[in-house]
Amino acid sequence: MEERNNTTTPASAAKKSCCGWGAFVVGLVVALILGWWVLPNLMKETKRQPIAFSHVEHVQKQGMTCEQCHFVRADGSFSGAPTTAQCAECHFTILGSDPEEARFVREYVQTGREIKSEWLIYQKQPDNVFFSHALHFGPLAELHGPKETAEFCSKCHLNVAETDIPPVYRENRLSGYSENTMLMWGCERCHAEHMAMGNTNASNACFTCHK
Amino acid sequence: MDRRGFLKFAAGGTVGLVASPIIWNTLYDAVYWTQNWGWIPRLKKGASEYLPTVSKLCPSGTGFLVRTVAGTPVRTIGDGNNPVTHGAMTALAAAEAELRVSPARLKTPLRRSSDGAYVAITWSEAEMLLKEKLAAAGSLVAAVSGDPTSSINEVLSSMLNQLGSSDFYFMPDEEMPAAAAWEAMGGQGRLGYDIEHSDCILAAGAPVLESWGVVAANRSAFNRTHPVAGEASQKLIYAGAVQNNTAAGADLWLPVRPGTEMTLLLGVANLLIKAGKAGFAAGLQNFASFVSAYTPEKVSGITGVPAARLEEAAKALASAKKPLVIAGSALGSGGSAGPVMAAVAVNMLLGSVNREGGLVDLPFPVSVVSHATEYRETIRKRFVDYTQSVAAGRTKAPAFLLIHAANPLYSLPADSGMKETLDKAGFSVAVASFMSETCEACDLVLPAALGMEAFDDVQTPYGSGRVTYALARPVAKPFADARSAGELYIALAQELKLDTGVKDMPELLYKHAFALGAPFRSMMEEGRVHPASTSLPASPLFYNWEAIRAAASAKAAEGDLQVAPVVVLGMGTAQTAIPPFATKVVTDYQLKGKLSVVQLNGATAAKLKVQSGDHIRLVAGNNVEITAVVAVFEGILPDTVSLVAGLGHTAFDEFSRGKGANVLALTSVSREPGTGLPVWGLAGVKAVKA
Amino acid sequence: MSSEVKEFKIRWGMVIDIDKCTGCGACMVACQAENNVAPAVDGSNKLRSLNWLTVFRLSNHKPFPDHEVAYLPRPCMQCGKPSCVSVCPVIATDKREEGGIVSQIPPRCIGCRYCMASCPYHARYFNWYDPKWPGDLAQALTPDVSTRMRGVVEKCSFCHHRFMKAQEAAVAKGQDPMNLPDGAYITACTEACPNGAITFGDLNNPTHKVHELIKSPYAFRLLERLGTDPQVYYISKREWVRREGDNYLEHEKTGEATKQG
Repeated sequence: MEERNNTTTPASAAKKSCCGWGAFVVGLVVALILGWWVLPNLMKETKRQPIAFSHVEHVQKQGMTCEQCHFVRADGSFSGAPTTAQCAECHFTILGSDPEEARFVREYVQTGREIKSEWLIYQKQPDNVFFSHALHFGPLAELHGPKETAEFCSKCHLNVAETDIPPVYRENRLSGYSENTMLMWGCERCHAEHMAMGNTNASNACFTCHK
Repeated sequence: MDRRGFLKFAAGGTVGLVASPIIWNTLYDAVYWTQNWGWIPRLKKGASEYLPTVSKLCPSGTGFLVRTVAGTPVRTIGDGNNPVTHGAMTALAAAEAELRVSPARLKTPLRRSSDGAYVAITWSEAEMLLKEKLAAAGSLVAAVSGDPTSSINEVLSSMLNQLGSSDFYFMPDEEMPAAAAWEAMGGQGRLGYDIEHSDCILAAGAPVLESWGVVAANRSAFNRTHPVAGEASQKLIYAGAVQNNTAAGADLWLPVRPGTEMTLLLGVANLLIKAGKAGFAAGLQNFASFVSAYTPEKVSGITGVPAARLEEAAKALASAKKPLVIAGSALGSGGSAGPVMAAVAVNMLLGSVNREGGLVDLPFPVSVVSHATEYRETIRKRFVDYTQSVAAGRTKAPAFLLIHAANPLYSLPADSGMKETLDKAGFSVAVASFMSETCEACDLVLPAALGMEAFDDVQTPYGSGRVTYALARPVAKPFADARSAGELYIALAQELKLDTGVKDMPELLYKHAFALGAPFRSMMEEGRVHPASTSLPASPLFYNWEAIRAAASAKAAEGDLQVAPVVVLGMGTAQTAIPPFATKVVTDYQLKGKLSVVQLNGATAAKLKVQSGDHIRLVAGNNVEITAVVAVFEGILPDTVSLVAGLGHTAFDEFSRGKGANVLALTSVSREPGTGLPVWGLAGVKAVKA
Repeated sequence: MSSEVKEFKIRWGMVIDIDKCTGCGACMVACQAENNVAPAVDGSNKLRSLNWLTVFRLSNHKPFPDHEVAYLPRPCMQCGKPSCVSVCPVIATDKREEGGIVSQIPPRCIGCRYCMASCPYHARYFNWYDPKWPGDLAQALTPDVSTRMRGVVEKCSFCHHRFMKAQEAAVAKGQDPMNLPDGAYITACTEACPNGAITFGDLNNPTHKVHELIKSPYAFRLLERLGTDPQVYYISKREWVRREGDNYLEHEKTGEATKQG
């Protein structure tokens, strides 16, 4: 104790403290880099869709409508991503010159591998959420063309209508969910509003959305 | 850096982290973790389909829609379009989608190795082995089938006939004694019951609302004749020792001692004759004078049914427009022909034969496979006679024994000779869907596809009032490595150069549909079921009072207490054991932990000095002893104890194994006087407080 | 949390004819399969096994041979004034959704079991253990109801997912999802009952069968005098069965309490 007191002269103390604030700044900068950039990136695993599907090609060049692949089934349930069999209605053989299309035909259509089970869903909800597309499609009838439809759908979904390659899928390594997953407050934006989108049924009672 | 510097660095770091999103985002993510526990299964998504087919596990051939999600069955739902079962389900059929993937399900062919353990083998190895063993066995081949409604039986009997063996059998069932009785009374076709159109039914011993006949169809008839909160258009009288599920639905319960149903029916006959009911047929006078001894007082003394209730039942039958009397056994196998003869006689008195809502004479199912034995011949053959004869060494043991869709080691009494027959058999094969006690004793076990996974059929089950034909269609892929038993046998016959006349199951089913004039195409594509409108000329029935007298001389089981077994479909069948989803349906008056529960009434309990919850030892005449928990229940005769059947499995999975005792273990085989039928429905026991 | 009662345009309700029930248990099997309730190895342990729907055996308490038996299936009563909702500290259970079904959101539940204590019908069950589907059994899970975890309370939801699906199907067909025809939405137990003992529908809708059935002189509810206003009605022509539905003094008759609540 004696010795240590002796070494702390006023001059050196001032120098130390100056140096110490430097340490604070260093710590702050390191933490900010870690917290804003390094850790979030470490937490997320970047994944690519199994096939570089082009919405531009299908919608703008081939003139397909959204409902040809994404439709409400007769029982009211929604068929989101198409199955290999649905794709094969056109792609039973290689139609164009895109190498990705050729790969799809070779690896999926010809082998019967199911693309739907491999497709990454950006907006996948946990098991306890019941979401009915059909019940949200009321305003669809008043919309015209893929552009307006895409705008409507992108209230919740990523707008992929004008993408030539699918957006990167980033999955939280800890939770296993996509970073685009909509959380409950996202639903409540409308459901807590009594007249959201002109609909009086938008209750936010638990059983409206949970199962 | 010194301590102070480090602290400042740490402080800076903390401020930095707090000012960055990582901590808050991670906390935010906690919402995912709290809702998704990795070890709890997740749900699958996909399109739902509802595909009509029929159950092959439920003995009543329940018609259901299999709901598949992305191709996997998840539910079975009653098929309202099915003209036989009208959408009615059973606890067993409702559990079939789960049974399909239950832990007891056989996944791959298994062969017993030299050290006694099973080794998984491939199908081609199994087929080679089958062919080799069958070829070496010559004519010493035997087979038994536990599924009398399937046309797969024809392929098996055809193979055996061509190999020079006549040892193809059905497992003992409810129809065997009934067929013997119907024949004795002059019946020429197959005995059927038009339950749907009757306005007053007396079911003696036959639990028509739980396990007897085409249960789902019976229940649907009960549903339609008993409108909610309305007046019933059908009266149901149930005579049985226990207030079981059927008694709960019945308008009148006749508490009848086990094994005295025939006496009860003869008493009813006597009362009806006195009331002027006398459907004329040969032998009426002799019959009338024979039953005149069965006065209500005497019958009441023997059967335990209060005389007033007996008279009430007779009155209800006499005043009904379309009365119908049904006799059957509580167990569903090992019953006697006598009660059915008496029931036929009562129906004759009432004029309830070959009229709407009465007994009907149905044509037997006809074989379409070349060289197959006809159904009406097979139903006459008695498997237990064969096994007892093999066990005693009077008949040569089979070199090749095939057990199809049956679990005889469990469902036959210990002295049936089944165990000895299996021990003596040169090579034994079980074709089954679940790992049963019988499978565990066979040399080769082959996993069979379920009705919802392969082509099969349901020909008119016993208890039906009309000829029906339904197809089981593959609406899902077979589980694991299971295969269609029918296709297996047809291929095996082809390998052995035997002529069956069919190349695969669809062709076999087509031939059946064609023979019945059924619309095969819509049956295949849409799962339609065919109700045929075939009828037979009335059989020349007569009151075979001598056969009745002989059967009536059967002795009651000895012992202080009579055992009254209760069969519930929630407990599964011998082939399925308790379905995983039905363990909660098993009540606390059927099973408690590892012990069976025995129900007895207050008077019996007082006599035995026991109360609810006490343990009791039941010792049967064959010295088998079981320990059970006492439950006092007033819906049972004095000196009678009730045990539920379907417990005491030693195989299958954790949902069935080691629970309670098999009530069949208490029974022994005896022969019915007159018909000589092997019967084991009764057991007498002594009880000691444990 | 709130104890005020919400008025609903639609009130889903069930009428169970006890005289038609024979206790076969098909409803219980269908319920478990439909709602992904895990199977129990020892189902005979009634304290630990978890059921949304339980069938009880009733007795008229007379000695042999005058004894009579009846079976009573007990789902959640979906009370009009649910005692469970007012006690839940975290709003894991609520009665606000149109249709009047008492909701239970297991991931929100903290497992305090106050609701279980407050439910007079013992309709709520606690997950003492993790649910287990041994072997390949999990393959048969339906996609309709989320699996629950250890430590939460669950109960019958009147197969609420079927209500949602019926609404969805109605919209797909261009019909009004808030005015479903009789039978468009029924529970799994209603569908499975071979005897037709269970009738399901909107108690408020005159075109639904249940609307008339609950007016039957034989209709009663369980423990009516507690004032919970259950949406499950029972029917029996037998006076002793109706007496089993509540605690009656000897001089009291059934049917008098119905007006209450």
